[in-house]
Amino acid sequence: MALVGNIRDFGLSDFLYLVDRGYKTGCLHLSRGDEQAILFFEKGKLIYAARREGEQLGEMLIRQGKLTPEQLEQARQVQNGNTNGMTLTQIILSENMMSQEDLQQTLQTHTEESVYGLFGWPDGEFRFEQGQKPDLNEPVMPIPLPVENLIMEGVRRIDEWGRIKDRIPSTDMIVRFLDQPGAKAKGVKLSPEEWRVFARINGKDTLADIAQKTNLSEFDVCRIVYGFVTAGLVDVVKKPRPAPLTSSSRGAQPMEMPRIKKSLVSRIINRIRGM
Amino acid sequence: MQTVKMVISGAVNAGKTEFIRSISEIEVVSTERRASDDTKLIKKETTVAMDFGRIAVADDLVLHLFGTPGQKRFDFMWEILSEGMLGLVVLVDSTRPETFRETNRIIEFFTSYRDTAYVIAANKQDRPNAWSPDELRLALRQPPHVKVLPCVASERESVKNILLELLYVIMQRSED
Repeated sequence: MALVGNIRDFGLSDFLYLVDRGYKTGCLHLSRGDEQAILFFEKGKLIYAARREGEQLGEMLIRQGKLTPEQLEQARQVQNGNTNGMTLTQIILSENMMSQEDLQQTLQTHTEESVYGLFGWPDGEFRFEQGQKPDLNEPVMPIPLPVENLIMEGVRRIDEWGRIKDRIPSTDMIVRFLDQPGAKAKGVKLSPEEWRVFARINGKDTLADIAQKTNLSEFDVCRIVYGFVTAGLVDVVKKPRPAPLTSSSRGAQPMEMPRIKKSLVSRIINRIRGM
Repeated sequence: MQTVKMVISGAVNAGKTEFIRSISEIEVVSTERRASDDTKLIKKETTVAMDFGRIAVADDLVLHLFGTPGQKRFDFMWEILSEGMLGLVVLVDSTRPETFRETNRIIEFFTSYRDTAYVIAANKQDRPNAWSPDELRLALRQPPHVKVLPCVASERESVKNILLELLYVIMQRSED
């Protein structure tokens, strides 16, 4: 079954997070007016994205001067005579028409440019077809692309509070690292400004505190932290309410729920089981 | 007579009234009026106050089920309803991602200052294009220990399962 919705309500960065953490394979179809885009994922990583549907790998590489029309024709003949379902990407590499590094760089740039522009869409219908794979002629990258950097780059382009407020409703919230941010953070490339904020995260300072200490605007700090949150590096939580000062309480604690006897819960369980 | 309370919350049209109706032993007390704002785009009648259902556990023990108002302007009721509750069911309409942000707001409200026992019921799993519980967990950014369960609020067995799963969570926290 397809996942459908609108990126006005469930943003592209949220969707990339879901794809990444859910190790999803499939195709995300996006449309906004006359504009359309497709993003193919394999096990949570991006393998191909395009804004102009229909442009195939060969034409794109000729347009960029990476292949000659003769080389493309030769590659297609190999593909037609091949019964193993090799993609054009695989044939170009096996026939040594381009190095893997050059092909990866070319396709990655094309893919990233296709995705970055999508973060500017304020709305747009999406449909994720699980399990859908790209056509053999589509320019699939030899090395799939982790989405964390795409999320960060997309977030850098946010210029309004609306989306940020969904996750960070107030600058009085505290930023803290998730359990193992180190491993996840290795793959993310941060700008110097983002490092300034990253280095200030200590689980105690609020966003307002961080803005003050880094001399960045509260908007910039919130936008940067929103990126960290969306990429799954950090979490933001409300500042604990100050607890009343008594001899037995020092520091804020969550309100305790009333203690319940197991015997009482057991009686309710038995009653509901019997309904 | 001892009474205990569970709260059923969720965004507008998540299925709260139907959930309580499926399990309550009494006719659900519901203050339904014609909606006067944008909620009427979603359904003609919407809950403007609350729903109330009841399950008699024994002669000396009754379980009350309270459905929270769906609209934001009735947030103040959440605080009142949450006092002394045994646990919380958060219903999500699995077919409407536009309600996920509101669902997160509700979870945040009920859990930020209390150690609330809660489960998330991924309602309308019988509909086409319903997001699966695993997908909802990621969409709502819920940690692995929080139960996100498939649900069809119109089916009594499904509702029973949700309440039992919540009770198992409560049982783990309860004292001998």
